[in-house]
Amino acid sequence: MKCKRCRRAEAAVDLPSHHSAFCPDCFFVFFRRQVTEGIRKFHLLAPGDRVLVCVSGGKDSLVLWDVLMDEGYETEGLYIDLGIDGYSDRSKEKVLAYAASRGKTPIVVELAKEGIPIPEAARCVKMQECAICGTVKRYFFNRVAAQGKFTVVATGHNLDDETARLLGNLLHWQRDHLARQHPLLPCGDGGLVRKVKPLWRVSEVETAAYGFLKGIDYVTEECPMSEDATSLVYKEALSRIEDRMPGTRIVFYKGFLDPSNPLRKEPGDAMGATGMDEEETGGTAQACASCGAPTYAETCSFCRLKERVRKARDQRAARVSR
Amino acid sequence: MYNAPMITVRLPQKKKELEIPGPRRVMDLLADAGVRPTTVIVTQGKKLLTKDHRVEDGATIDVISVVSGG
Repeated sequence: MKCKRCRRAEAAVDLPSHHSAFCPDCFFVFFRRQVTEGIRKFHLLAPGDRVLVCVSGGKDSLVLWDVLMDEGYETEGLYIDLGIDGYSDRSKEKVLAYAASRGKTPIVVELAKEGIPIPEAARCVKMQECAICGTVKRYFFNRVAAQGKFTVVATGHNLDDETARLLGNLLHWQRDHLARQHPLLPCGDGGLVRKVKPLWRVSEVETAAYGFLKGIDYVTEECPMSEDATSLVYKEALSRIEDRMPGTRIVFYKGFLDPSNPLRKEPGDAMGATGMDEEETGGTAQACASCGAPTYAETCSFCRLKERVRKARDQRAARVSR
Repeated sequence: MYNAPMITVRLPQKKKELEIPGPRRVMDLLADAGVRPTTVIVTQGKKLLTKDHRVEDGATIDVISVVSGG
C-alpha cells in the first residue's frame, strides 16, 4: 500500500477512519496537524503559556509532551509515582529516560512520601484504586501547577478515552458529568489551573504509531490496578463498532462537542466545565481548611481522603499492638 | 524431521507466542490470533506494518496492544 499523501513511499500506518494511509514522514505531518487543529478549535493553548504536561510513562502522555515541545510550547513534565510495586518504578524509568533524551528533568511527586500510596490508600478506605487515583492526581496537578506558576495543565487523554467516558456518562445519564466533559476545563475560581486535553482528536492506535515511529520508549504494560476498570468495557464496545464502521468514534465525540448539543454547556458557563474535582462542584470555591487548595467544601476531597487513610492506618496499628 | 518455517506472532502483553503458517496478511494473522485491528499496532523489528502487509514464513512480528485503562 502506498502513502496516500506523497503517493511515493510505502505506507506504514493505515487509518480506515480517515480513509487514508501514510508513510512515516507523512504520518508525522498528519498527526501533528490533528493535534494542532484540536488545540486551535477550542483555544486550548496560547503561545505564552507555561504548560505542565502530566506524564505517566505511557504512550499518550509522552507523545503529547513530544508534540508540544516540537510545536514550540514551553513545557515541563510532571510524573506522579503512584507507589505501585514494580509498575511505578518501570514507568518512572521510561519518563526519566525520555525526558533526558530531550534535555529535560521532570518534576516527580512520590505518593509514598506524601503518605498516600494508591494501593495502600485503596485498601485502607475500601475504595477502587482508580477512583482514589483520580482524586489524588487532580490534586497534585493543580498544586504543582500553582506552585510552579504554570498557566495550564495538559493531559494525554485521547479520542478513545474521551469517547469511552462519554459512552459511560450517557449510559448512566450522568447529566452533570456530561455538562462538564470537554477538552478544555477553564480556570476555576479560587486558583484552579486550566486543564486541557490536546489529543482529543487522535485515537490510541494513532498515538501508539506515532510513539513507535518516533522511537519513544513508553511503558506498554497496563497499570495492574486498572484491570477491572469500567472504561475498558466501554472501550471494547466502541472498538467493536469502530471495526465495523470506521470513523464512528470521532463523529460521536465531535457531535457531542457541537455547541448546539443541549446535553452539555460551553466551558466557562456557570454550571459548565471547571477544573474542580468532580465531587466538588457547585457554589463558590474557598480555601481548604487543611491545605489551602481551592474547594467547594470546608476541606478538599484530597485532605478528606488522606485523613481517612490516616485513621484506618492508626486503627490497624492499634489492633496489631493489642 | 524437518520443521517448515512459520510466522512467529508475539503478543508481549499477553505473554503469548503463536506459530502460524505463511505467507499471510497482517489482518488475517490478527484474526487467527483473535485480536481486533483497532486495538493494536503490528511491528516487525523497527517497521510498522499496515493491515494488508503480507508477512512471509520465517518472519517474527509483534502485536502491541494500545488500549489503556483507568
